[in-house]
Amino acid sequence: MNAPNRHELFVLEDGEKGVEVIEDTKIPNAATIKIFKQDHTLGNMLRSQLLATPSILFAGYKVPHPLEPYFILKIQTDGSITPTEALEQAGNSLLKLISDLQAKFKAEFSYKDVEGADGMQEDPYGTLQGGVGATSAWAASVRDYADYT
Amino acid sequence: MALSSIEDARRHVRIHAERVGHVSSTDFPGYYPGEDHSWNLKYFTKNLLVKIQRVSARSCEFDLVGVDASIANALRRILIADVPMIAIEHVYVWNNTSVIHDEVLAHRLGLVPLNVDPSLIEMKEDEVATDRNTIVFRLHVACGRNKDAAKGETVPQKMYINSDVLSSQLEWQPAGEQEAIFQDNPPAPTNPNILLAKLRPGQEIEMDLHAIKGIGSEHAKWSPVATASYRLHPHIRITGHIAPPSIPKFVSCFSPGVIGVRTNAQGRDEPYVAAARQEGMSREVLRHEEFRDKVELSRIRDWFIFNIQSEGPYAPERLLVEAISVMRDKISVVRRAAAALEVGTEVDIDMG
Repeated sequence: MNAPNRHELFVLEDGEKGVEVIEDTKIPNAATIKIFKQDHTLGNMLRSQLLATPSILFAGYKVPHPLEPYFILKIQTDGSITPTEALEQAGNSLLKLISDLQAKFKAEFSYKDVEGADGMQEDPYGTLQGGVGATSAWAASVRDYADYT
Repeated sequence: MALSSIEDARRHVRIHAERVGHVSSTDFPGYYPGEDHSWNLKYFTKNLLVKIQRVSARSCEFDLVGVDASIANALRRILIADVPMIAIEHVYVWNNTSVIHDEVLAHRLGLVPLNVDPSLIEMKEDEVATDRNTIVFRLHVACGRNKDAAKGETVPQKMYINSDVLSSQLEWQPAGEQEAIFQDNPPAPTNPNILLAKLRPGQEIEMDLHAIKGIGSEHAKWSPVATASYRLHPHIRITGHIAPPSIPKFVSCFSPGVIGVRTNAQGRDEPYVAAARQEGMSREVLRHEEFRDKVELSRIRDWFIFNIQSEGPYAPERLLVEAISVMRDKISVVRRAAAALEVGTEVDIDMG
């Protein structure tokens, strides 16, 4: 009855800013960054990437309450870069990391396709129903308990 | 320098009888004095390993070695909740005289997985349903008595015509350009045998169904995977001597096939770890006095064994690629915002 709309978990409202920075007055080179409409998926990744940066003294994230869709990222650097710069660098590193991962996935799966096309027998169950990519050579030759059609 | 061997204790999550130890990864700069663990793209690329164990039309199992737990978890979360899919959202009921209530039937219809490729459909932004963002189905089933049924027949499928409403009875109504776009692969439920309702003579269901694109965070019907999960690769180390008479009991403490027995140089039987991968980590071995301190159970912290079961339109390999592009979008939004904060300008971010 009182449940808010599900889409409010991931869609920014009109005029709502996605990222807010609160500089920490008491600690040098520290900032608290509030990121709206994102959850642990992004927060944990950013935190672990920040932690791997040598000029970071402190990096942590928390989702203050599960009913409010935002997380807080606290960053303290040793002075050589500002916290927002560190966040940007972490973002860049993550993007490179992910492109790498994607390249490896594609390489691995396309290798399987090539291998399957070489020595594959006729699919004994006939063509599979619908589905994009279900007609790829490798995909059709192995069936397991999850292939119910 | 290659990734350290699996014997490296820093990579182990230790499993004790009552608790789990050494859970967080410690390879960040500053933890070990004198060692440099700062993130390095070349090092990461060299050590990243993706190995497919098994691929079928619907599911796949693969190993991902060398990433942090946060990335593997983000991949899993995105597979479940952020990769878009098409499912029935609006149900316009013209006639429903069955015993299943309108809303219950609509709920069931929403959960039927469809084989429509989501990249061919746009997200519906406003209230207008166009041929670009909506797929229309029609369900019209009426139940009648089967005149040719034998007298005394008790099976409803033989006594009545259309006593079971199956998902195969959903008819696609092409609109506008959809006829051409979906020529090779007409929209239909992935599984034609899903039972939606049961009818008896005189009952009829007639309804129009509109299917739109959405993501799993909004409703589970839009989740493209039956499930996506991962587990860490187990690691067993036999540190003490197991007397030959108790070897059968020792072997039975683990999952079948994990521990093998071989004859060592002295001619006596000794157990060895044949296939740690299949171990379910029941820790049965830690329940027995005689084995408790002769075995070390752990899991390798950065070796993820993923199991993905795709529900409908995406083949498992394509699911992963889509998940990664969603991940990339999420990160680039935040990175752009951070860059703008640096410069001091306002950036219009669309996180929708």
